[in-house]
Amino acid sequence: MRINPTARLVARAALALCALMAGLANGALAADVNVSVLDSAGRGIAGIVIIADSGSAQPDKHLPRSAIMDQQHMQFVPRILVVQTGTAVDFPNSDQIQHQVYSFSEPKRFKLSLYAGHKYPPIVFDHPGLVTLGCNIHDGMIGYIYVTDSPFFGRSDGAGVVQLHGLPAGNYTLTAWHPQLQEPGGSALQLRVTVTDSGAPAQVFHLTRPLRVESTHSGDSRWTDY
Amino acid sequence: MDRLLIGRALSGALSAALLAAPLSAAPLAADDFYAVIDLRAVASDGERSFLNGGLGELRFDQQHDGLRLGSVSLGFHHDWFEIVHFNANAVAYGDHDRSPVDLTEVYAEVRPYPWNSWRSRLKLGVFYAPISLENRLAGWRSAYSLSPSAINSWIGEELRTIGAEYDLDWLGRQRGHDWELGLTAAAYGWNDFSGAVLSTSGWSINDRQTTLFGRIGQPGVGAIPGVREFHRDADQRLGYYAGGSAKYLDALELRVLHYDNRANANTFSYGLDDFAWRTKFDSAGLRWTPTDQWTVIAQWLRGTTVTGDSAFEDARLTDYYAYEFHALYALVSWQRGADRLSARYDCFEMHQTLSDDFFNNNRGHAWTLAYERELSKSWSVVLEALQIDSSLAARSEIGAPVAAVERELQLAVRLQL
Repeated sequence: MRINPTARLVARAALALCALMAGLANGALAADVNVSVLDSAGRGIAGIVIIADSGSAQPDKHLPRSAIMDQQHMQFVPRILVVQTGTAVDFPNSDQIQHQVYSFSEPKRFKLSLYAGHKYPPIVFDHPGLVTLGCNIHDGMIGYIYVTDSPFFGRSDGAGVVQLHGLPAGNYTLTAWHPQLQEPGGSALQLRVTVTDSGAPAQVFHLTRPLRVESTHSGDSRWTDY
Repeated sequence: MDRLLIGRALSGALSAALLAAPLSAAPLAADDFYAVIDLRAVASDGERSFLNGGLGELRFDQQHDGLRLGSVSLGFHHDWFEIVHFNANAVAYGDHDRSPVDLTEVYAEVRPYPWNSWRSRLKLGVFYAPISLENRLAGWRSAYSLSPSAINSWIGEELRTIGAEYDLDWLGRQRGHDWELGLTAAAYGWNDFSGAVLSTSGWSINDRQTTLFGRIGQPGVGAIPGVREFHRDADQRLGYYAGGSAKYLDALELRVLHYDNRANANTFSYGLDDFAWRTKFDSAGLRWTPTDQWTVIAQWLRGTTVTGDSAFEDARLTDYYAYEFHALYALVSWQRGADRLSARYDCFEMHQTLSDDFFNNNRGHAWTLAYERELSKSWSVVLEALQIDSSLAARSEIGAPVAAVERELQLAVRLQL
């Protein structure tokens, strides 16, 4: 099953609006936080996962959460998916050839026996952490699902910017993560930010090193494992 | 004894697999099968090919060009019980081999899910050792040109693992590392005559793989008599190979392997009218894929082969029929969309260990240029130009010049079903 991107956008906007209205009805004010990821020359870096976590921002169990991790041209699409704890992730295989998807990462261990098309029900990711996906037939297929308790997350756009919406006042840890980050501290960076009712200052992650170059070859479906 | 043991194990495994087939949940499907028909228009000014009884180093020669059957490749793949993958590949060349269609590979691979970042694999049957970095298409065909390099042409001619291979993989990328590592070890039989063609006809560049029950060239025809049938056993001793691999992300793959068929070179086969050949070599290969468009491959191989001398218990490099051989190549390939362009340079040498002036000594180099265009999912065309400059002292025995420049232009039309 494919979801029309426009429909997905509308659904997200509607959810965001509902959340906003629910927040307003409770009398709580919420602020937006602007986060940028810049390289050493001040250029924006796209695709970085940004999460704001207050430690108390629990997932809202009333909101149905689902996401799709597709397989196209012998790659996971998207290669990196961020979901809130409790999200049900669907794993269709849009390739003509069969895949055998597995994870032995602590937050979610599973395997999907050889399949093509849409064979299995979604898998619920019920523990936070990083889940690395593989295919036992095609070792070059690597995908990531970042599962977070926080409902406030996004990925930086082409200008290196992500806007996190509707954060209640409080102290937050901002995390920037990407599998190709090669900062001295590892593949995740953190900042502290205090959000007040009137908002929060824009936050900037300055990367000291470029993302590790990693070509993600789509491969050739004609190639076999010699 | 070794050979009997492995033979029993193989036939047992194959029987078990066939018996288990009906129990498997997955029924046979149309996409379990494939066929590739490869028709060629060939222009060649080569000396009479070693495949046609001469000492030319190309597949096609002046007397054997024009419209030709490149090959009909047939394949079957089926998965049993999730983790057992069965593969069989057969080929027809239409050149009067013993059978019109014959097997090149038939094996089952047991490939369980990784356990943490470790995974074991076991292959049983008839298959290729993990040496070539070019031959990535089903049926062990090159993904970059019609004719594989001299190294991989030789492997297609004379080497096949008929036995068992165990692989241990460390999937480091699943743990956030940049590397994946692998170890390989295999034991096999029926490979006691590999080295016979290399040491009599020298290196070749051609895409004709010797089939399991087939032969090279025609019996009773040839400048140099000798073994034409392979995948035979003479001494009932197992051979082995052991190697390793390392992959850096999707960008780099390195393979090394040590190979030793452990043939007793004093064993004489009356059926083949030849002594066994003790063949040992080391090989290394590197494939670099810096971007989606570019691929660079280099392979190197160096070894020795020795055949019978009753004065010695086993093969010695001081024997009269002892040869050293080495070859290497570098290939650059560029692909965008349906187009692929590849260029390869090969150089090779084979000489008797005692003499630089022996009648079998061979050396040379070659250039290969290939262009492939995929016209549709089923149809593709490949144009390949190949030139080999070589010297083979034995050519003087048949009145041919020792040094030869041989050229071959091939246009292949391929239909994949």
